Amino acid sequence: SFRMASLAFAALLLSGAFFVSADKALVLLDNFSTRETHSIFFDYLKSQGIHLTYKLADDSNLSLIKYGEFLYDHLIVFSPSVSEFGGDIDTKAITNFIDGGGNVLVAASSDISDVLHDLGTECGVEFDDEKTAVIDHLNYDRADDGMHTRILADSGDVIKASIVVSKAPKSPVLFKGVGMTADSENPLVLEVLHASSTAYSYIPDSAITNYPTAVGKATLLIAGLQARNSARIIFSGSLDLFSNKYFLSSVQNAVEGSKKFDVSGNEELAENLAQWVFKKKGVLRHQSVKHHVQGQPDSPEAYTVSQDVEYTIKIEELVKEKWIPFQGDDVQMEFVRIDPFVRLTLNHTKDGVFRARFKLPDVYGVFQFKVDYKRIGYTNLYSATQVSVRPLTHTEYERFIFSAYPYYLGAFSMLFGLFVFSMVYLHHRDDPAEGKKLQ
Amino acid sequence: ARLRTKMVEVFDIVARLFSEYRTKTPQKLKLIDAYLLYVLLTGAIQFLYCVLVGTFPFNSFLSGFISCVGSFILGTCLRIQSNPDNRHHFKNISSERAFADFIFANIVLHLVVMNFIG
Repeated sequence: SFRMASLAFAALLLSGAFFVSADKALVLLDNFSTRETHSIFFDYLKSQGIHLTYKLADDSNLSLIKYGEFLYDHLIVFSPSVSEFGGDIDTKAITNFIDGGGNVLVAASSDISDVLHDLGTECGVEFDDEKTAVIDHLNYDRADDGMHTRILADSGDVIKASIVVSKAPKSPVLFKGVGMTADSENPLVLEVLHASSTAYSYIPDSAITNYPTAVGKATLLIAGLQARNSARIIFSGSLDLFSNKYFLSSVQNAVEGSKKFDVSGNEELAENLAQWVFKKKGVLRHQSVKHHVQGQPDSPEAYTVSQDVEYTIKIEELVKEKWIPFQGDDVQMEFVRIDPFVRLTLNHTKDGVFRARFKLPDVYGVFQFKVDYKRIGYTNLYSATQVSVRPLTHTEYERFIFSAYPYYLGAFSMLFGLFVFSMVYLHHRDDPAEGKKLQ
Repeated sequence: ARLRTKMVEVFDIVARLFSEYRTKTPQKLKLIDAYLLYVLLTGAIQFLYCVLVGTFPFNSFLSGFISCVGSFILGTCLRIQSNPDNRHHFKNISSERAFADFIFANIVLHLVVMNFIG
């Protein structure tokens, strides 16, 4: 029995270890039936190594942070109609969570509440009002209930960034929910899925009296954001988009003669989004930064002006839970002393080592080797290495300057002339005949 | 016609200057004059080079040019002091003393030149 106990204890330890190393996500739901109606999506997340904790959105024991440390790596908000989050969670807590590097996936619906509205506004995405829906009279599914709110978005409406969505799904995507708009000037917002040009956002069964908030392609169905600390957030206007019903449903445009697709593109799109937002892909890191004078193995204490230097940085990308060498062709390095003096595109080998070879400028001071790589869909990569560049020492200047040779020659010829003149002058004997002539 | 006579007059004066120099000047002074001409030409060449090529490196140019200018001045002083026509101005300076001063001053000059030429 002691053996059994020790085996059980070992099993417990192992399972604990497994839990500790996995990603942790908190899932906030309106009611626990969402766990079953969206089980395919949640099972997919579990298969990606994310450990899910399901809680009701107004549970009074909710908290994201304890003693200064975040309890979860990710937050999934599948509770569109919650009027107020329970426990310690509110818009400020979620924003704090994002500032701490946490990733968030939010799904709304036409029952969207003010809390989610505020959360969207904090992140630069404006949800439309409660009870509105995205309506498209020319692109709705055959199974729609007559309101034309069960709409289709096809592959042309998906963001063309292969890091976020590797391949646009072949079948159209089913959507039923609230629309969003984002400021096109905002450089951090990604328009992951937008509606077709015939869509608009309004309360379905009321006559239109005002101009709709979102019209046409400016209506976002799924919006993404990567914050400056590389935290990722996805807002989806439709919770149904992630549901089992929509994953398994067939899709056919209500217009006569449209093609019928056996399965919607929802599952494929949801899987891509989950991979991106929970940092399973599109993540970069730099490993070893080395710099040295060309031809020497080690970094010197300080460089001298106009030396030939070599800078290498190893960049890796997370692909399928492994770090593999990054193969980007547009990584640049700057050599900066307040302003960049040198800016080069780095060449890389197959093993992800990016190299630059250049001549230091003829300026001394304190410089930084900077790699600041920001691309859509990838996490921000920043590396700065500070070095000193000193001026030439006295013995490093050329001893004799070529353009001054005539002056050297002139000075020495003066000495030589003086010597010759002195010799002749001292040995000069006055000619007695000349002396007589003068008298 | 007046211009022509003026030109003839100038030419006559210059010719007389040259012939008197050749006959009346002691050989010692002519020796000094030859040295001075050498120094002058060297200085002029260095200055012309600087004008054409530019002032880099300025310290070398100054050093070379000043060595010529300084040598010229010291040579001129020696000439003044050893000209027998000026005996009554320099009663207490013998010709040996004049030459010794000349050499001493040249030593100082060339010491400075060699230090500054870089």
